[in-house]
Amino acid sequence: MGFVGIGVSSSEDEFAIQNPFKTDYEQVFNMSGYAAPPIETVRVGIIGLGGRGTGTTARLTRIEGVDIKALCDLQQEAAESALERINSEPPLSHSPEIYAGTEDIWMELCERDDIDLVIVNTPWDLHAPMAIYAMEQGKHVVTEVPIATTIDDCWELVKTSERTRQHCMMLSNPCYRDFDMMALGMARDGYFGEIIHAEGAYIHDLRHLNFSKTQYHDMWRLRQNASRNGNLYPTHGLGTICNIMDINCGDQMSYLVSVSSNDFMMGERAKELAAEDPFFEEFVDKEFRGNINSTIIRTHKGRTILLQHDVTSPRPGIRFNLVSGTDGVAQARPSRVAKNHDGWLPEEEFSDLQEQYTPEISKQVGDLARQVGGHGGMDTMMLWRLIDCLRNGIPLDMSVYDGVLWSAMAPLSEWSVANGSKPVAIPDFTSGAWDTNERGMDIELRRGATTNII
Amino acid sequence: MSFNRRDFLKKSGLATLGLTGLSAFGNGKEKGPNEFKKDHEQVFNMNNYAAPPIDLVRIGFIGVGSRGRGHVRRLRSIEGTEIRAICDVDEGALNRMLEDFDEPVDTYTGSDDAWKELCERDDIDLVVNATPWHLHAPICIYAMENGKHTATEIPAAQSLEECWKMVETSERTKKHCVILENVCYGEFELTTLNMARQGYFGELIHGEGAYIHQLMSHNFTRDGYHEMWRFRENATRNGNLYPMHGLGSIAQSMGINYGDQMKYMVSVSSDDFMMKKRTRELAESDSFFEDYVDNEFRGNMNTSIIKTFNGRTIMLQHDVTSPRPYSRIHLLSGTEGIARGYPEEKIANSHDGWLEQEEFDAVMEEYKPEIIKTAGEMARRMGGHGGMDSLMTWRLIDCLRNGIPVEMDVYDAASWSSVIMLSEWSVANEATPIHFPDFTSGSWKTNKPIMDIELERGGTTQFV
Repeated sequence: MGFVGIGVSSSEDEFAIQNPFKTDYEQVFNMSGYAAPPIETVRVGIIGLGGRGTGTTARLTRIEGVDIKALCDLQQEAAESALERINSEPPLSHSPEIYAGTEDIWMELCERDDIDLVIVNTPWDLHAPMAIYAMEQGKHVVTEVPIATTIDDCWELVKTSERTRQHCMMLSNPCYRDFDMMALGMARDGYFGEIIHAEGAYIHDLRHLNFSKTQYHDMWRLRQNASRNGNLYPTHGLGTICNIMDINCGDQMSYLVSVSSNDFMMGERAKELAAEDPFFEEFVDKEFRGNINSTIIRTHKGRTILLQHDVTSPRPGIRFNLVSGTDGVAQARPSRVAKNHDGWLPEEEFSDLQEQYTPEISKQVGDLARQVGGHGGMDTMMLWRLIDCLRNGIPLDMSVYDGVLWSAMAPLSEWSVANGSKPVAIPDFTSGAWDTNERGMDIELRRGATTNII
Repeated sequence: MSFNRRDFLKKSGLATLGLTGLSAFGNGKEKGPNEFKKDHEQVFNMNNYAAPPIDLVRIGFIGVGSRGRGHVRRLRSIEGTEIRAICDVDEGALNRMLEDFDEPVDTYTGSDDAWKELCERDDIDLVVNATPWHLHAPICIYAMENGKHTATEIPAAQSLEECWKMVETSERTKKHCVILENVCYGEFELTTLNMARQGYFGELIHGEGAYIHQLMSHNFTRDGYHEMWRFRENATRNGNLYPMHGLGSIAQSMGINYGDQMKYMVSVSSDDFMMKKRTRELAESDSFFEDYVDNEFRGNMNTSIIKTFNGRTIMLQHDVTSPRPYSRIHLLSGTEGIARGYPEEKIANSHDGWLEQEEFDAVMEEYKPEIIKTAGEMARRMGGHGGMDSLMTWRLIDCLRNGIPVEMDVYDAASWSSVIMLSEWSVANEATPIHFPDFTSGSWKTNKPIMDIELERGGTTQFV
């Protein structure tokens, strides 16, 4: 996609929202609120055993009612080292079979008939193909973020999930962070009044990781940054905001516009590295992603979301950042709340709010999850709730519509950036069902919560 | 009125905004993102223009509501000033102002055009105005036409035509047209500008500014703004109506108008969730509000993103209704570090976290510019938003007296204010990107920085 100059657009109305991703698809079955039959022991196959996948595997061994049946990685040693890790201090015994060595070996894992859930922790491009294939083989599937990198893949995930009635959830762990859940609880309780605006971001200086020759297989993450321009990682900042605004279940995103700065850092770094190491020469003349991307989303109910992405600038991190309504505001890092223009609530009042809005999920498993760990416990809490929902046959906290919508911000922002920041319509993956869908993200544990952390 | 304005913004954007050179846009298909371009060619470059020095600056002041009254008091506390004439349409306001004066001062009131007579006097060097928004540009233009330097409260203009006319008039008359953007003289703003110039942030990539200031009570008070002008602005327009406080210092750090230029912007407003509701409540007991119960009020939160020619971005917000603490954000992010002004002032140069207080204090001390060292303490004592008003006023007079360039010129006034109209256009056209007019006619590429915070020249004026 090149920059489309002003005045050469072929769209009917140049000064309005563009709709390049229009589709005629109509929902065949509503996966929002869908409860699959209960599964007492969840038999799991895991694909992708890099740093993230291995951590997930280890955490799963601490959850009741899980049987890890298969581990898959392109590299034999990665799969074996994950196996070693789960066998080193086994609270429960798992004897997974190992799949490794070829590009397509993951398909064999999906084809097994003794697996209920496939967990995907591979490079981004593979999430959707693997999830689709797993569902086609009758498996529920969860993937790391983002669940897809193209709008076509988003739709394929929706269609496949609706047709096969298999769950397809994106593992959006920040939704289980303490302050995110506190803000969600407050919003649902009406503390902020009507929600008007929210802000989230993925601001995380990853230069040392992305330029490391040993971190990501075949430099896949640097390649993403060297070939795309937009918000490549929108889900971390967006999940909690969508939960708060009831996106997909009461409101829906309407359109977005997106602006990227130029790249001031990655091209330079590639040149510096290539001067000493020919390995980096292939990156020297790449068009690197603009360092900061800012995207504004507007919803059908007239709210706005500011979403940012910056993984190069030397600055402290941001994820969910702010929610603002007719009666109050909350902001993160450090967490704070205000009810008026006079200032932020004093520490004591804030603590009271923290106490009041600690959700049931934190009360029940927060301490244990923290002990098991994973980004301060939120990874464990998310996995625990996933397994608990499957075991109880109740809806998952996040639906296929959530995963694809949040992920779709990447290709949509790329389109807007490539087209001189024109506004672009956001596909409605729920086919209009957002108006009547019930809320997910049951942080008060109205159902289930019968699974133990071991 | 609101419907018409919006209809027009959406459909043409030309006639009511009064742009000349209509033929340049031909059949209408070419309008749009370059709609506000103009064929103006610079006749004289006002960047770094030094007018002849004026030892005693004789001032005519227009608009002495609460803001104007403060300005007059501060101006009088600066060496080499004399308030020659004061004008206000509201005689009560005028009389309250006169209570400050022992010496005689000429006054103008009684008609909507009384300010013109003040501008026409031949014993005034500088016309300052603190009137409702829609009068700023007409007064500035008329003052310059009458051979006066002029300084105006923000925003400097309310249409693109006014922006251009200010530029044209300033260039032709060689009179200064200064936008009184006091925030540019905030201590954190001045210090971070110095840090940007000294390379602390490396190359600047991104900035953020805002005007988040809950004015619900101000705007809905019947005895606040003259004839409810500020309420009516919010009841008839949609966009970022007040971008300058968040933008000014960021633009200076990025060298906008001298080294970089704003290229295009997109703007999105939320709906209004508060003002119409409040209007309807008030209309039950006050018939004034009945006329507005069906208005489309400004969306409560407006967010805009600007892209510059050098590839940087600026995120700007405007929210004067939500119940949340004041913020201008004031974020500057570069290849080597970051500063953020709100919720509290912070600096960082890595992902590991903000500098500890002690380090922060050391950096602030190290980069404290000369203007603060010389006049900061005195300005704080004189007051006005913590001293920034006094510092700004002092420096304006000091520049005029020394015959050195003013620090915020007509190009700043026009470009910072143009964001208002461009955001309204973008909002009315569903966030379609809109190109900035280049008020410098391309000279931004070679213009030299203004805002001489190291006081390399001048700095000789005293507080009295």
